[in-house]
Amino acid sequence: MRPLWENLPFLSIFLAITAGILCAVLRSGKAAWRLTMLTTAVNTLLSAVLLGCLWPAGLSFVYTMGRFAAPYGNAIKAGPLQALLSAVFCAVLALALEGGKRDLFHDVSPARQPLYFTMVNMTAASLLALTYTNDVFTGYVFIEISTISACALVMARDTGPNLIATIRYLFMSLLGSGLFLLGLTLLNGVTGYLLMPSLAEAVAALAASGQYRLPLTAAVGLMIAGLGIKSAMFPFHLWLPAAHGGATTASSAILSGLVLKGYIVLLIVLMVRVFTLPLLEEMGVTNVLLIFGLLGMVAGSVSAIREHHIKRMLACSSVAQIGYIFMGLGLGLGFGTAAGLTASCFHILVHACCKPLLFCCAGRLSAVSGHHRSLRNLRGSAYRDAVAGVGFTVGALSMIGIPLFGGFVSKLYFASASLSSDKTAVVLLTIALSTVLNALYYVPAVLAIWEQPDEELRLHIQETADPAALAFDRSFTVSALILTAGVFVLGILYHPILNVINSGVSLL
Amino acid sequence: MILLLPILLPVIGGCFVFRQKNEQARDRLVLWLVGLTAALTALVCLLPVRTLQLTTIQGTMHLALANDGLARFFMVLFTGIWAPVSVFSLPYIRHAGREGQFLGFYTMTLGVLMGLCMAKNFVTLYMFFEMMTLLTLPLVLHNGTSAARRAGFRYLGYSVFGAGMALAGFFFLSYYLTTPDFCPGGALDLPRAALHRPLLIFVWFLMTVGFGAKAGMMPMQAWLPAAHPVAPAPASAVLSGVVTKGGVLAIIRVTYYTFSPAYLAGSWAQSALLALALCTVFTGSMLALREKQLKKRLAYSTVSQISYVLLGLLLLSPDGVGAALLQAVFHAVAKDTLFLAAGAIIMSTNFARVDQLRGIGKRMPVTMACFTAASLSLIGIPPMSGFVSKWYLASAALEGAPPWAGPAAVSVLIVSALLTAAYLLPVAAEGFFPGAGFIAERREVGRRMTVPMAVFSAAALVLGLFPGPLLRWTAELAARLF
Amino acid sequence: MHQYLSLPILFPVVMGLGLLVVRPARKLARSRYVMVSVVLTSLFALLGIQMAYRYGGDALVCVLVRFSASFSISLRIDGPSMVYGALAAVLWPVVTVYSLEYMEHEGHEDRFFGFWLISFGVVLGIAFAEDFLSLYFFYELLTLSTLPLVMHSMDEKARYAGRKYVLYSLSGAAFAFIGIVFLLNFGTTLDFTYGGVLDPARIAGNETTLLWVFVCAFFGFGVKAAVFPFHGWLPDASVAPTPVSALLHAAAVVKAGAFAVIRLIYYGFGPDFLRGTFAQTIVMAAAAVTIVYGSARALRTPHLKRRLAFSTVSNLSYILFALTLMSPAGLTGALTHMVYHAVIKITLFCCAGSIIVGSGREYVYELEGLGQRMPAVFGCFTVSALALIGLPPLGGFAGKWMIASAAVESLNPLAYAGIGALILSTLLTTLYLMTIVVRAWFPVGELDTAALARLRDPGPRMTVPLAALTVLGTALALASGPLIRFLWAVAHGSL
Repeated sequence: MRPLWENLPFLSIFLAITAGILCAVLRSGKAAWRLTMLTTAVNTLLSAVLLGCLWPAGLSFVYTMGRFAAPYGNAIKAGPLQALLSAVFCAVLALALEGGKRDLFHDVSPARQPLYFTMVNMTAASLLALTYTNDVFTGYVFIEISTISACALVMARDTGPNLIATIRYLFMSLLGSGLFLLGLTLLNGVTGYLLMPSLAEAVAALAASGQYRLPLTAAVGLMIAGLGIKSAMFPFHLWLPAAHGGATTASSAILSGLVLKGYIVLLIVLMVRVFTLPLLEEMGVTNVLLIFGLLGMVAGSVSAIREHHIKRMLACSSVAQIGYIFMGLGLGLGFGTAAGLTASCFHILVHACCKPLLFCCAGRLSAVSGHHRSLRNLRGSAYRDAVAGVGFTVGALSMIGIPLFGGFVSKLYFASASLSSDKTAVVLLTIALSTVLNALYYVPAVLAIWEQPDEELRLHIQETADPAALAFDRSFTVSALILTAGVFVLGILYHPILNVINSGVSLL
Repeated sequence: MILLLPILLPVIGGCFVFRQKNEQARDRLVLWLVGLTAALTALVCLLPVRTLQLTTIQGTMHLALANDGLARFFMVLFTGIWAPVSVFSLPYIRHAGREGQFLGFYTMTLGVLMGLCMAKNFVTLYMFFEMMTLLTLPLVLHNGTSAARRAGFRYLGYSVFGAGMALAGFFFLSYYLTTPDFCPGGALDLPRAALHRPLLIFVWFLMTVGFGAKAGMMPMQAWLPAAHPVAPAPASAVLSGVVTKGGVLAIIRVTYYTFSPAYLAGSWAQSALLALALCTVFTGSMLALREKQLKKRLAYSTVSQISYVLLGLLLLSPDGVGAALLQAVFHAVAKDTLFLAAGAIIMSTNFARVDQLRGIGKRMPVTMACFTAASLSLIGIPPMSGFVSKWYLASAALEGAPPWAGPAAVSVLIVSALLTAAYLLPVAAEGFFPGAGFIAERREVGRRMTVPMAVFSAAALVLGLFPGPLLRWTAELAARLF
Repeated sequence: MHQYLSLPILFPVVMGLGLLVVRPARKLARSRYVMVSVVLTSLFALLGIQMAYRYGGDALVCVLVRFSASFSISLRIDGPSMVYGALAAVLWPVVTVYSLEYMEHEGHEDRFFGFWLISFGVVLGIAFAEDFLSLYFFYELLTLSTLPLVMHSMDEKARYAGRKYVLYSLSGAAFAFIGIVFLLNFGTTLDFTYGGVLDPARIAGNETTLLWVFVCAFFGFGVKAAVFPFHGWLPDASVAPTPVSALLHAAAVVKAGAFAVIRLIYYGFGPDFLRGTFAQTIVMAAAAVTIVYGSARALRTPHLKRRLAFSTVSNLSYILFALTLMSPAGLTGALTHMVYHAVIKITLFCCAGSIIVGSGREYVYELEGLGQRMPAVFGCFTVSALALIGLPPLGGFAGKWMIASAAVESLNPLAYAGIGALILSTLLTTLYLMTIVVRAWFPVGELDTAALARLRDPGPRMTVPLAALTVLGTALALASGPLIRFLWAVAHGSL
């Protein structure tokens, strides 16, 4: 008889899907909002409980769906890492929605609001599924679901440029999914399985025997390329700034902070469980990931420097941060420890906390500045909402990598991980360069919002701003405070979290 | 304690001179201060040798004073020059303006010079050397023109750089010394020093060139011709007569009280420095000949004449040192007379160029008489004192090593003497014998200006006629160093 | 007792934050608040130093934040901590008195003094940090807490200067971070240990990499210490209000950079590992070049505060040059000059500030004849200028002497060239400082007597600190014997 808590992963996914369907039939946006928040909160709780059960004992389990025995059918595998990631993802989702609430109800038309929440729930469901899945086909299905719901999230804000961005996003996403499907098919063709453990065995056998070398490599390449496109790995990142920059605050937060991560988590799972790191290193895939990661770190920041529009700037910054994660993955096995992998997972958490915080604060700062978005017009906005100013500053400092903030811990662990590989110099130098580049655009932004505006700008804003927008935004403040606290927790009390990740990685 | 008095009295008293508004009171104050300092100097010289430690900079490096033989010699020389020039400067500076500032710094400089003489070790010497530069800077700047300021900065730059070079040398040198204090005959830790002779010889070269800047030795002499014309005449007098001797004193302390002459003799540095000195002697005289401005001509003359002193020192023999010290004294006396005379001429007639000085002897007979006497001494014509020093220099050169130095020195000395005659005598000649049809009224300057000049000229004559005591004194000082 | 050290650091930070949040309406209340906070913090710090001196540094180890078994932000007072900490603790109150008067002319005192207090705490944090991670933490924090002070006037130039400052500093720290990571992995511990923490077994075969990393980290920390070519932020930062230039950019912030280099060389990589390597050549050459470059630029800069900023660039490299000699004698020289330069440069900057406030004149060529009208200010300026030039027995000479002696002892030809650089710099220093002194006291040309007649010395609340600083500098110089003995003991690791 399996323990009760083993049902929790499936339950969370099921709850999210149900909530999504229910939202579609609800009439009022507010009701849909409440339902979504409730569901997400419950999911967070469930994941936390799961973590509590798995972590102390260091367990992980497989949960087959239905009565189909392996190697057929569908399964869920959950360990401490997955539980932690789900808990954080759900919590951040809730907080992102909370933080962008006012903008959300302002940007999305009332008729579409319930549908929006459906899409949010679908995104949540696919996130959870991608985290927990133990077979590649389910993975593919939820990738597609996630693509569509993410597009909807982008498109929720109905403007011309946004529509164009959405179409571009859709195109790139579908391209990515297509490549993934191709790879998946190839893999199935040479191994005959879809369930991950069986796939792993088969791949190992193939690698050992040397048969079907080319198709195997092609499959690996296609799957990774597909997931890379969807998670904005360099050089497939060009769709991101427009898509994330133009969406409503909550959407940008969710997209940047969470959706991208889902694909990365799936990628990690594939890398560790199916293909295994040693094989990938042998194939040179990890080197490719490393190089793209490093290039992404630099390219993302360079394009962010040129942006004046704050949300686009944050979106470009996401490209850079994703680059960090891929760099960590690319450091691979490195002398026996999966240190790079651990660091990447930690950075996923950090970025998941910071980016939504930054987006929500940016949204709030623009709201109190008459919905202007360029940095020049945001001058002095921190004085109009101190919590937003402080939150933005905290997020920025974390991204630059100041000690006491989460970003510094990631940097430290990435740097340590690089030491146990043979690519130390280039990685360390790129980390240092990236810090400099990050500072080059975050610092002026922070300085701008804390600058005392000159009289005429202040008067202009006072006249043109909507008093409703200027009023105290409780939901935002709560969300920003919690996310800020999260950044500090990740910066100071990171040790237990790292322990969880470490054991989780070994139990993947 | 008493060693501090000749230093503190003029320095502190000088501060009061600045504030004193009443002219008569100020003049009296200056004279009293200088006079008292002279008296204290005499007292210090009569006392046995004693040391006074002022403060510790670090470890074994202290600031300390001692009234040893060389200190006494130079203290007497400096005060002896300072007192008459003070008398001269009082009416002169009233004519020039801003008396308080000039007299104040003038008095304070005396105190610092006393300190320079009594310095017991290099750091103290360096301190007073720099202070001397800083306190004489306002004297150069006195006229308040942009030319004066430029000249002042050139003076400052060369002096500080030279002192800096010497300091750099000392950083290396201190490693090889048994004691940081000056000892007659040297303080080198000979076993260790012998191992690093090339480095230390270079260090000596550096230090001598560095301090030589103050003494107007090439290649760092360019400040002299710039500073002298712009400074008031009493300032030029003390710059040429005393401050340059400060550089000489420093070189003596370095060469004979830190290094030992035996260690340095025969090295490439000695030859090079001798060559530099001879070059300076010659070039200085040549440039003086071509210079039409009187004070600038005298400045170039100083450049040349001081290098006589350096020549003697660089021979590294007792005779050489003795001759050098003699030359130092006699040059000071003669050159100061010349400068005071030039000052008197400028004050009385405003003529600054030599071609304007026809018939000046008719106008200012006393002044020109002193001028002529001093010129004769400077050229080296007996019975003036200049002859004595140059004679001893020549003989010391002939018997000293290196062997090429002797004939070279003698020839340069002779040529220089001729050149000196060429640039000084015509002034006197045209002054007294302007030719027919020259009518001039007598416009001699006051007694307070002519008396010091006369005192100096008399001294030049007397010391030339009765050089005995001075010869004995310098020979005794020189002997102690070997 | 164990947590005592957190007091001198947290107290001013809390008081500073308090001031930022609660903006007192009355000026007198604020002045008293600030003064009391600063004095109390100094007392706490000095008391801590005294206790550490008496009972040894280990008695007062304090952990502020513990991240994990091996990582924490912790504090401990050892020899160099005592020197830097005492320097900050003594100088901060004096400059605070000056700045309370000065800032009345600038305005926005709440924000200024709030960050002023926070910076004080952070500087003490740097001084008392026990290990590299703590040092790095406070180092980054220092950049952030001093940024609002630099940008105080919020005009175009101030914003530009602030941006440049923070970019340079954060970038430098990013590269220094690489050094720290390497120390973490190749060293036995991250705690500061005299003689270095590198584990010989682990570094075998990686020496070249470690040396390049050291060079990287040296320049990284060297940004704050304004080593060429990363000195560019300092002259621009002189647009900050004078107390900021004086205390922070002449004494606290730039000395933090030098202090970090001390920790890097003598307590991190270890002088024995670095001596005689190409890394030493590179960093020594950089320091020597900066010595001359800073002085040369100072001579050509007519703006008074910028001139003093370049002078700081040059003098800091005296300290860095001494450090790159990689010997206890070099460390002694560096500490000596650190102490004396701090006091002298603060005095010079405060004089410059008084001149600017009193007369509105910012350029050297405008200072003709001001000496007569502002004798107190220019008197202090002259004395301090002479000290910086290196006239014995004033402070600058002792520093130069110790540095040059250490250079001679090192038997390194490049060090000899460094001595040449020192002397050249002395000449240039004389020229660029004496120009000001001479212009002030011995003016040339037509003077605007009417304008001059209106000028006077500023009030006692500015002149008394100036005089106090000058007297302090001179007293320290006269007491150089015992001071250098103490620094010698520190440099040999006995404290």
